[in-house]
Amino acid sequence: MIQVGGHGQENPNVHWLGSRGMWFTYLVVMFALHLFLLSIPFLTIPLAWTFTNVIHNTCHFIFLHMLKGAPWEIQDQGAARVLTHWEQIDYGIQYTRTRKFLTIVPIVLFFLASFYTRHDAGHFVPNFVTLMFVLIPKLPQFHRVRLFGINKY
Amino acid sequence: MLNAVLAFIYQNLIDAPTSYHLYVEAFLALWLFWLIRQRKKAEKKQRLTQEEEQLIINAWQPKPLVDEEVKNTENYNNGGIWGPITGRPGKIVEIDGQKYLNVATHNYLGLLDSKELDDAAEQCIRRYGVGSCGPRGFYGTVDVHIELEEKISRFLDLEETALYSYGFSAVASAIPSYAKAGDIIFADEQVNYPIQRGLQASRSSIIYFKHNSWEDLQEKLKKQTEIDKKSVRKAKTIRRFCIVEGIYSKSGTMCPLKEITDLCKQYKVRLFVDESISFGVLGRTGRGLTEHLDVDRKDIDFISGSLEHSCASFGGFIVGSSYVVDHQRISGLGITTQNCYCFSASLPPLLAGTGIKALEIIEQSPEIIQDVQDKCAYMHQAFMKKLTFFRVTSHELSPLKFLSLVGSEFLAGDVIKDLIEQVIIYVKEHHKITLVQPYYLESEHELPLPSIRVSINRLLTYKDIDSIAAAIEDASNCINLYDSVICNIPNQYEQTKADMIRNYEGHLKWKQQNNGVSEKEALEQDDVFEPFEIAEDSAPKKIADLHSRN
Repeated sequence: MIQVGGHGQENPNVHWLGSRGMWFTYLVVMFALHLFLLSIPFLTIPLAWTFTNVIHNTCHFIFLHMLKGAPWEIQDQGAARVLTHWEQIDYGIQYTRTRKFLTIVPIVLFFLASFYTRHDAGHFVPNFVTLMFVLIPKLPQFHRVRLFGINKY
Repeated sequence: MLNAVLAFIYQNLIDAPTSYHLYVEAFLALWLFWLIRQRKKAEKKQRLTQEEEQLIINAWQPKPLVDEEVKNTENYNNGGIWGPITGRPGKIVEIDGQKYLNVATHNYLGLLDSKELDDAAEQCIRRYGVGSCGPRGFYGTVDVHIELEEKISRFLDLEETALYSYGFSAVASAIPSYAKAGDIIFADEQVNYPIQRGLQASRSSIIYFKHNSWEDLQEKLKKQTEIDKKSVRKAKTIRRFCIVEGIYSKSGTMCPLKEITDLCKQYKVRLFVDESISFGVLGRTGRGLTEHLDVDRKDIDFISGSLEHSCASFGGFIVGSSYVVDHQRISGLGITTQNCYCFSASLPPLLAGTGIKALEIIEQSPEIIQDVQDKCAYMHQAFMKKLTFFRVTSHELSPLKFLSLVGSEFLAGDVIKDLIEQVIIYVKEHHKITLVQPYYLESEHELPLPSIRVSINRLLTYKDIDSIAAAIEDASNCINLYDSVICNIPNQYEQTKADMIRNYEGHLKWKQQNNGVSEKEALEQDDVFEPFEIAEDSAPKKIADLHSRN
């Protein structure tokens, strides 16, 4: 395992999402995914938008709210082993810039998806449900909360 | 243009097919605006006025460069009894210009006086200089470090060794590099201070088991297994470790390593053994407790040792399989979360050179190990037979002998400390022998009762050992230790006092009767000696127990 901590904090998960160029990259990757989905011939535009939204929210949820710990050997004596990436960002301080960015992007994406699907009920349900999955764990009240013992250990 | 925008808004917001989505989107938009306006909770910096700033500046008093407490030397040099050492602490040590027989410092094989080690050190100084000028990963690794590591690995027939520049840091860094928050460590309650620091730094849950009681360890392991059964998912994330010492430096007792190894194998617990004291002393060829008790070293996850006790050098090491020891090299944390292997300067090459030479001597002449063990046993017997007021509480083959004052269960700690100090001062002045009380910090986990610690040295002759025993006995008699002990026992223990007086009188009579017995014969007869003990039923072990009985 490579040794980490060269940027002054022993856990890179704390700051790498707020590092230089990260937000731009995030948006670019999302846009690339959308372009890819748009280029599939049989997907209509509303379907492409819904798929973009759902895939983005699923990946977002898995990487930020489901996987725990960090993929390095960090020297914090196991403090981050039980924390999800979202809980590790900025050492748990709420309303930092990175956290606000990561909350706003799914909301804006939902607005765009609703608009392009012409507010159709069939599209609204998956979009809204995945949006809730992504937004509710980000509330400060849900910091370190594990519902029904899922993902506790 | 405006028409197009208005038409757009009308079509999509007001005339849209469903209306619930409007409420949802409005709510989300409000949330979004609220979120953007939020600031992270930072402390507001207080702005002070000029006058307030001036007040604070005027009130500042500079502290002296040297703290007054440091000048108080009572905490150093063993209570102010001994002055500064002005010579080599070999068999004879010169303190404040006076020569004493040294049984205080750790030099079990007597190699500190050896000329071969001096020559090896001198060669290393001529070749490498005095310091290594760097940590192991940054130009501080010298070929003698690698050679010493390989030598230790080959000596113990294990895969790899990590060499530390200080024996204390070796085990204090090794434990937190494997055990993290959420893990469980089973530790003997009398583990030494470096291990305690390591346990604290690891942030794991520590479960202490009764000293040397593998039965108690089994109980605790069973309890933990039951807890694990209730939550299998949690149990899968917990790692379990067990830490014991070969010979305990707080009491000189020997660990039942075979039973503990079997338990750890059965309950899938990683075992760490600290062989600082027993390395180079126990076993037929000095390979430690594992050789003495015939335990397979591959069952132990790592053995930590120190070159400071029997090898007359400096430094510590961790020996184990490559898988275990490699991890040390990148994450050997120090006690202040500084990486003690990685970021601390490596062992000076001259000390590595003396370590290599000491190991060579141990390998080439294993008879010195037998010599040391004979002297340990002899000293144990001599103390048991000759001392009336002190009880030997350590193992027969331990190179550290702990003598605890008889009746100390009933006395306050300070009183015992003072009485022992009087004995030590008497022996210092009249017999020129260095006795010490081991010094413990207040943060020690289980502060033991004060005792005298005598450290074996292979260069001591049997006559020297006899004279040490005679000196302690003489001191105890001359300062009326018996009367002091009896006086200081609190009045509520009348029965105990009476028993002690009765036992002592009986013991004196026995001694007078057996005066004609020669030393050799006395040693050969096993149950001739009746130790000056308090009868079992009237003596609970701890004063706390007595209070609860009344």
